Amino acid sequence: MEAVRERMEPRVVEKLPTPPRPDVALDDATLVVRAQEGDVRAFEALARRHQAVLYRVAVRVTGDPAEAEDALQEALVDAWRRIGAFRGDAAFSTWMYRIVTNRCVGMLRKRRPVPVDEVADAGLPPAPDDPARAAQIDAELAALGRAIAGLAADQRVCWVLREMEGLGYEEIAAITGASETAVRGRIHRARTRLAEVMRPWR
Amino acid sequence: MALEKLLACGRDATAAWDRAVAGAGPDEHESGCRHCRAARADALGLDAVVHRMAAQPVEAPPSVIDRVMTAVVGELRPHDVLLLPSPHGPNRLSRPAAAAVLRSVVDGMDGLRARSCRIEQSERESEDDAAVGSAVDVAVTVTGRFGIDLASVTARVRQMVVAAGEQALGVPVSRVDIDVVDLWD
Repeated sequence: MEAVRERMEPRVVEKLPTPPRPDVALDDATLVVRAQEGDVRAFEALARRHQAVLYRVAVRVTGDPAEAEDALQEALVDAWRRIGAFRGDAAFSTWMYRIVTNRCVGMLRKRRPVPVDEVADAGLPPAPDDPARAAQIDAELAALGRAIAGLAADQRVCWVLREMEGLGYEEIAAITGASETAVRGRIHRARTRLAEVMRPWR
Repeated sequence: MALEKLLACGRDATAAWDRAVAGAGPDEHESGCRHCRAARADALGLDAVVHRMAAQPVEAPPSVIDRVMTAVVGELRPHDVLLLPSPHGPNRLSRPAAAAVLRSVVDGMDGLRARSCRIEQSERESEDDAAVGSAVDVAVTVTGRFGIDLASVTARVRQMVVAAGEQALGVPVSRVDIDVVDLWD
């Protein structure tokens, strides 16, 4: 560590003073107020800061990278249009989670319904001595993906926010607008359904 | 509906699941109860693959922000302007752009960040009116690093905003209201 610092120091001293990059250090609350006053760069900083998480949620909920990209893009444009209505009584991230998951649910409902029989079967694992055993991890993940696709949209959103994002029940309730009891019920039903479908893989 | 998340033994299923995947061992009841044992087995059986999925990196496509910002810029209100005097008639300056200039001046001050910056120009009859380019009132809210000299903040911010208004924007600033709304470490 010390050695690294000694090598680095001369270069730092030679560097010209860099202009301040305010967006790096600004908190969400400040960026939100600026964006509400029409500051496009502040909104861009918010969008860049949150896009990775929002895209990840959209991928988990829709199971489809192309749909997730559309959901993210539409959610961010929507957020810009509606940012004047954001009151700051919840975190900006909560508000954005809500917008993007609503987009995803809307997309799921527009899809052609898939017959339950097709999605309920997560497939069977290869036998333990199968030479394709190495591929089993991928296959198991794919099976979990198919099992998630078989969940109802509201269960899927709650389950993803809990198990993929690690959010608390209270925040998930704030995001989805459902009561905490309803959120717990949805997550429980999702968990038991997934456990059932994935049982052959144990 | 609420009953659905209770196990047959009456235990809360969600809490039991969360405890199991958090690595907590079975308590006395859970060791002896077949409903709880089954629920824990489900939780632990599913947990590994769920963790693997959660750990998979997912990267947002790089072009999304560019497309979003193109749409955002296309929706800007072009009429939200300040009118500045010039020999060839009034110049228009986007109010959000002017606010951004004033904010960046505050951001450049040690231990200070601008949050809100509202600029109001006196009402005028028309663009030919003598009031064009009349002085503006500015209201800024700032956040400060914990420990900065709050007593001098107002005077320093006012001085910078007035100077920036006249030198960078070319518009006289008649009044600056400053509120310190938050402190950070």
